[in-house]
Amino acid sequence: MPRVEIRFPSTHEGFAKGFEQLRSALDVERLEGAPRYNAELVFEEIVANIVEHGAVGGRILDVRVTLETLHDSVILTFDDDGVAFDPRGLADPVPSKSLEEAKIGGFGLMLVRHAASSLDYVRTAAGRNQLRVKVPRRAAASPPGS
Amino acid sequence: MQLQLGKKVDGVLNVLLIGRLDTPGVDRIETQLTAQLVPRGERVTIDLSRVEFLGSIGIRMFITIARALARNGGKMVLYGAQPSVAQVLETTSLHNIIPVRSDADAAAAVARG
Repeated sequence: MPRVEIRFPSTHEGFAKGFEQLRSALDVERLEGAPRYNAELVFEEIVANIVEHGAVGGRILDVRVTLETLHDSVILTFDDDGVAFDPRGLADPVPSKSLEEAKIGGFGLMLVRHAASSLDYVRTAAGRNQLRVKVPRRAAASPPGS
Repeated sequence: MQLQLGKKVDGVLNVLLIGRLDTPGVDRIETQLTAQLVPRGERVTIDLSRVEFLGSIGIRMFITIARALARNGGKMVLYGAQPSVAQVLETTSLHNIIPVRSDADAAAAVARG
């Protein structure tokens, strides 16, 4: 399948439309099961982060997502003009022992790291974040770098 | 995303969630689910068998509602997750703080206890 490029503003409507386009592209590719779920999960978590945290002063961001399918993996590349953010350096949240103490943040990137076999990030000279996430098509992913 | 309230049996309310717990899905039901459960401090079992997708926003919703319920004397138990949804529950260790069971009977027993 040729590369699919999806572009949308960082609004809730843009997010929803972009997600529809991704799911249509995954239908065409007939990606199913755990790899399908993981590709959608990566999209949901990365774009939700961009929409929620990427802008300063309510600016609407330009979000571009590219989908490439290889024989053994699906690669999603996220490109946005938001604040610089490298998700690779953040630690997973420590599991809580009680409901009262439980934190509610950090799960999104934890799920992305679990779904992906690699994460590559660069802040471009043009001031854009580019995050490349590789999701295996077959066996369960090992954490990146392991 | 839809939610369907079932009957209360032995003091335990069952709720069926249908669809996707992604950003728009949680937006659609969180307020209603909170309003139905928290003020009355319900003991509730949540049927996940028809949830096709669970992301971190759904995890956040469950923690927030379960905590509010617990403060009001209630309790939440999740059950029936499909494999990929179950994997998300496992990865986030949600089962450490909100009981997760495989079926309705086991979930109801925990909710009553």
